[in-house]
Amino acid sequence: MKLYRIVGWLLAIAMLFAIHPLDQSLQYDRLVLGLRQPTPWFQIVARASGGDTELAVTGVTGVIVGAALGGFREVAASMLWMKTHEYWHKGHGTQAKALWLMRLVTLLDPHWLEPWRITAWHLAYNLYVETDDPALQAKYLQMGVECLKEGISWNPDRYDLYLELGWTLFDKVKDYEEAPKWFRAAMRYPHPEYVDRLVGHAYERMPDIPRALDAYDYCMKRNPLDQTAVGATLTIRERYLPAWDLAEQGSYDEALDAINEYLLAQPTSSLGLHVKAHIAEQAGQLRLAYDTWSLAGNLSALDFLAQRKAVELAQRLGIPVEETPQHIYMQRTGKEMKAGSPDRDRLSR
Amino acid sequence: MLLFVSNVRRLGHTLHTDGRCWIIGLAIETEKLSKIYTHDANGQPVGLIDLSLVVEEGQIFGLLGPNGSGKTTTLKLLLGLIFPTAGRGQVFGQPLGSNTYKQRIGFLPEGPYFYEHLNGVELLQFYGSLFGMGGSALSARIEELLKLVGMWDRRFIRVRDYSRGMRQRIGVAQALINDPDLLFLDELTSGLDPIGVVDMHHLLTDLRDMGKTLFVCSHLLKDMEPLCDRVIILNRGKECRTGTVDELLRVADQVRLVLSNWSDELKTRLATSAADCEVADKQLICHFQDQSQALAAATIAVEAGAVIEDLGARRRTLEEVFIEAVGGEEPCDQSSE
Amino acid sequence: MRPIFRVARATFHEAWRRRFLNGILIFAILIIGSSWAFAYLQPGAELQMVIDIGLGSIRFFGMLIAVFLGTRLVPDEIELRTIHTILAKPVSRAQFLFGKYLGGVGTLAANMLLMGAAFYVVFAIKAPQFLAEKPEDAMIVAAMYSNIAKAILLTFFEVFLILGIAVVAATLFSWVLSVIFTFVFYFVGHMSDFFQQLSDPERGASKIAQIVMGALYRILPHFEIFDIREAILMGTYTPWSVMFKTIGEGVAYLVVVLLIGYLVFNEREV
Repeated sequence: MKLYRIVGWLLAIAMLFAIHPLDQSLQYDRLVLGLRQPTPWFQIVARASGGDTELAVTGVTGVIVGAALGGFREVAASMLWMKTHEYWHKGHGTQAKALWLMRLVTLLDPHWLEPWRITAWHLAYNLYVETDDPALQAKYLQMGVECLKEGISWNPDRYDLYLELGWTLFDKVKDYEEAPKWFRAAMRYPHPEYVDRLVGHAYERMPDIPRALDAYDYCMKRNPLDQTAVGATLTIRERYLPAWDLAEQGSYDEALDAINEYLLAQPTSSLGLHVKAHIAEQAGQLRLAYDTWSLAGNLSALDFLAQRKAVELAQRLGIPVEETPQHIYMQRTGKEMKAGSPDRDRLSR
Repeated sequence: MLLFVSNVRRLGHTLHTDGRCWIIGLAIETEKLSKIYTHDANGQPVGLIDLSLVVEEGQIFGLLGPNGSGKTTTLKLLLGLIFPTAGRGQVFGQPLGSNTYKQRIGFLPEGPYFYEHLNGVELLQFYGSLFGMGGSALSARIEELLKLVGMWDRRFIRVRDYSRGMRQRIGVAQALINDPDLLFLDELTSGLDPIGVVDMHHLLTDLRDMGKTLFVCSHLLKDMEPLCDRVIILNRGKECRTGTVDELLRVADQVRLVLSNWSDELKTRLATSAADCEVADKQLICHFQDQSQALAAATIAVEAGAVIEDLGARRRTLEEVFIEAVGGEEPCDQSSE
Repeated sequence: MRPIFRVARATFHEAWRRRFLNGILIFAILIIGSSWAFAYLQPGAELQMVIDIGLGSIRFFGMLIAVFLGTRLVPDEIELRTIHTILAKPVSRAQFLFGKYLGGVGTLAANMLLMGAAFYVVFAIKAPQFLAEKPEDAMIVAAMYSNIAKAILLTFFEVFLILGIAVVAATLFSWVLSVIFTFVFYFVGHMSDFFQQLSDPERGASKIAQIVMGALYRILPHFEIFDIREAILMGTYTPWSVMFKTIGEGVAYLVVVLLIGYLVFNEREV
């Protein structure tokens, strides 16, 4: 072999290795900028080998074709996404497959928001209503919330998934303490106006009247023409604030009288019932609180907060009741789930 | 016919490489140059085997042989397109493949191919630009060459519409674009009509007269015979005969007497002393083993009223030499030497 | 240098006469031009679909052109024997090879420019329509204009690298083999993070796996570095330092590829 060839080949190999530090630096920059999207190969392989054959074939083919096409990986994700709809609407038996594929799409293209939202919606809403088992329903709620949290970890700079998670907590879990935190997170990024009001709506239902008023106040400062916020502020001040203030001063009986006066005119007002139950709890009248929450829960089948509170109080009072999914969910998740700080490296490590 | 002026380089000094002296006055020199592609069923190497040749400047050198004898392989080796498996060679004192001597050479491949989408002018512009030529000098040169090869009025026709003869003509033009000192021509006259062949032969001799060296590969021996100064006959990769054309065509120790206006009686008389006598084209051709026999016979013939057309060393055609050399089982039949 | 540009220019002019190249280009522009027609498939993410299909097409068809052009550049010259008359002129093999590559780069760049321009037009038409429906994404869309230009610029270097690999592969293998080789190289290059994960001791890689997979990770080109789609969709600014590092890495890898090509082609018989 001629000398120049030996030197040439050595030079080529040396250069390959010399590129490495530059590559490392670039990869770090890309990670910081959120550009790096390492394919979670191990998760994909594990899921493919654990799932059923047809799915594994579809999924692995999708991944390979996606990876193979390089630039078309996201388009491959789109194609698989359409396949998920097909599976979902085929019937009950194929919904697990559909969920698996949805999960695959989120792995293939984690910065595509739609699959995160739809997957979580399918879990927390659609699968939820297909079963009567509260424990299973609680599990679906939990999966939906976790799905959105993972989506947020991939897309921390967009409001969409914060809002979606907040809405799921607001609408389905009725965790009015947790939901506003996620709405507020959404508000850090460009977002539609109604997100601001959702904070107020959540505190209103919780109920936490002063914070609700603060939230609406913020809306009106941002947009003085926000008729919804103006109207809500007027209603709250007129209907609930007097009772709330009395309760804050410790005059519970007067407070209950004040809210009862409003409830006489509007006996089915769920917000009024929430305020009444809250005051009764503060006053230590647990039985009254239980009755009020139960009434609210019975009046509205979707008032999961009232139903959950009723279960909590019934347990404290020793009254036998059936557990609700939301109650199981709150007990399962506890406090540590609520410290859901976005962890964007979870998949890459 | 040729308007351009050649600049013949005669470098009168020697170059020392590897402790040997190479005389620069040689255009090409090879030493046991081999290119073995594979071996045949009998274990004989296939390719070019141990070719040693010397081409002096100013010669027309013929590399002759049947198809597959290694002519094109030799050319490709000399141009650095392929690499020898053994031996070595030099062109203008430079090792094979060097860019330096390529400035001074021209090459016409066999059945030449060019970029099909170019026309004659564009093609020559491209090849000229590879030598760093350009501007009006190149344009003038292109016009001159296109007229020389008879393509000037067809200069805007694209190569893909060329006939074989046109390709050959434009091939000659591109080989001459840099006014080379040494020309490699592979099957120069293939695809040309008789007039084209004659044109090309004139061109060759004109080029030689200008001091160019020409290295010509061909299997058309009749065409080459009057042109070449020196030839090598190759067969199956091996060198069979080398020498000047005169040397090859002369038959050792035989003298030829050609008579016209002869009689049968004279023929019978001459046949006794001649090695052989034959009639061709109304002429009587007799060969004698030595000069004295021939002179005696000539005297007899003149006395008998015949006319001596020719008296001299016996000559054969190149074709005869060739067939004699390559006709046998062996690559080279050396029996006559 | 002169012969390199002469060969490059001839290659460039010749390449435009290749039918399959024109075919790919026309097809690509048709797809890019009609990408908005596919957007209805993803309600709420129409712009994302347009970007994915548009940039994906530029990349994919750029890659196709690079592979099919690159693997033909030198073999065509050898098969048609046009290379003989060129190498018999004062053109070294290195000059010839780099000239062919450079001509391919010019052809590819022109094709990519056309595709990029087509995509940019589609995007410029589509983005305001999208904004009208989703005004809160104004910042993201505003950042898209420069990010998309940057993404296309990086794609240029990606396909130049593929072209280099294709040209060099074609000096080593037959045509079919070199096409397959280049495709596989491209695919595996896109999966290079897989090898990094396999070489990760935290994931339980053995010592041998660390060395072998680590070496593979270093040897393979990392094609994913040319992808800044996330920045486009998130509306984040892509700093020029990252652009330069990416281009630097691509060019450095290309130099290695062409060096290997030179080493091989210099000994190649034609």
